[in-house]
Amino acid sequence: MKIRTIFLALASAVPISLFAHHGAAGYNAKDVETVTGTAVDFQFVNPHVLVTISVKDPNGVVTKWQGELTSPNHLVRAGWNAHSIKAGDTVTITGARALTGAPALRISKTVVNGQELKTEMGD
Amino acid sequence: MPHCRNLIAAFLFPLAALAQQPNLSGVWNLLSSPDTRYLAYSFTREEPPMTDWAKEKFKLTRPSFGPRSFADSNDPVNPTTVNAVGCFPPGTPRIYLQPFPMEIVQTPTRVMEIFEFNHFIRQIWTDGRPHNTDLGPTWFGDSVGKWEGDTLVVDTIGLNDKTWLDRAGHPHSDQLHVVERMRRPSQKTLEIAITIDDPKAYTKTWGGSITFGLHPTWSITEMVCEDNVNFEEFLKNESKPAK
Repeated sequence: MKIRTIFLALASAVPISLFAHHGAAGYNAKDVETVTGTAVDFQFVNPHVLVTISVKDPNGVVTKWQGELTSPNHLVRAGWNAHSIKAGDTVTITGARALTGAPALRISKTVVNGQELKTEMGD
Repeated sequence: MPHCRNLIAAFLFPLAALAQQPNLSGVWNLLSSPDTRYLAYSFTREEPPMTDWAKEKFKLTRPSFGPRSFADSNDPVNPTTVNAVGCFPPGTPRIYLQPFPMEIVQTPTRVMEIFEFNHFIRQIWTDGRPHNTDLGPTWFGDSVGKWEGDTLVVDTIGLNDKTWLDRAGHPHSDQLHVVERMRRPSQKTLEIAITIDDPKAYTKTWGGSITFGLHPTWSITEMVCEDNVNFEEFLKNESKPAK
């Protein structure tokens, strides 16, 4: 009975962390991190644009970091397009870390091959 | 010949009517300032005066945004729990708070709002017709408008009670009656003063005034809420702690 209770608690807890992406509720605004790596994936999709980079730590351990931006519609108005980041580009992302402790950020700053890509929309 | 004259009149009348109407057309995006941060979740900073009936419903809402934000939201538009279907229409008036632009297209007899968010469209009839609620309650309701000087006064009824009034989870009943006063204080701005009247849910009318900025170079692009499924793979990884 006890095991069953624990199982149910886990089963109901997983989807909560899994889907905590809309709004800022899934991220810790006080835990802002910056990581640099090589772009492996760039998805210019709704609801939020996704960036995946491969980051090597000083010991040579490679971790895939994921970053979430705003929607493609907003980014197009800020000058981005579906090809703004290509596999192999050197990308630095800064943002609030996922509450789960996963290597995932809600991106506030993006630098691609030394050039910052701003997110403020024009007129 | 008189017949022909009637035809010409029938053609010219709407154009003349349009020339006399203030023009609200354009692509508009909500303006916010440090003083209006509450627009991220509602129309006003003050808590609206709920009836006991509404307070009970409000307790069950778990919004993603605003002072009561939950990681496991049951927001009908943007749920963050796996059991929630999501992507239901935000309805009137919440659609204005979705962070995407809208375009107003005006004809002599109708003002259309084309929302980028999921390509929803509201039609506001300005040809003098009465309300039509034959369909029963709907997500956006039935809207008719009339011009009072430079202001379009839009009256909306026939709304279902499945939507939240805002992104903070404020509920409403099917007695909801929304009045919008739309005008252009300047060439570059559009102001919509919204009054929410629902005697079953609120002890008095409430609402707020929202201002949009004109974006002459923008066009409305595709944004499909159901594309949220793109997130599934991403979120699977996001839930795994770093090694």
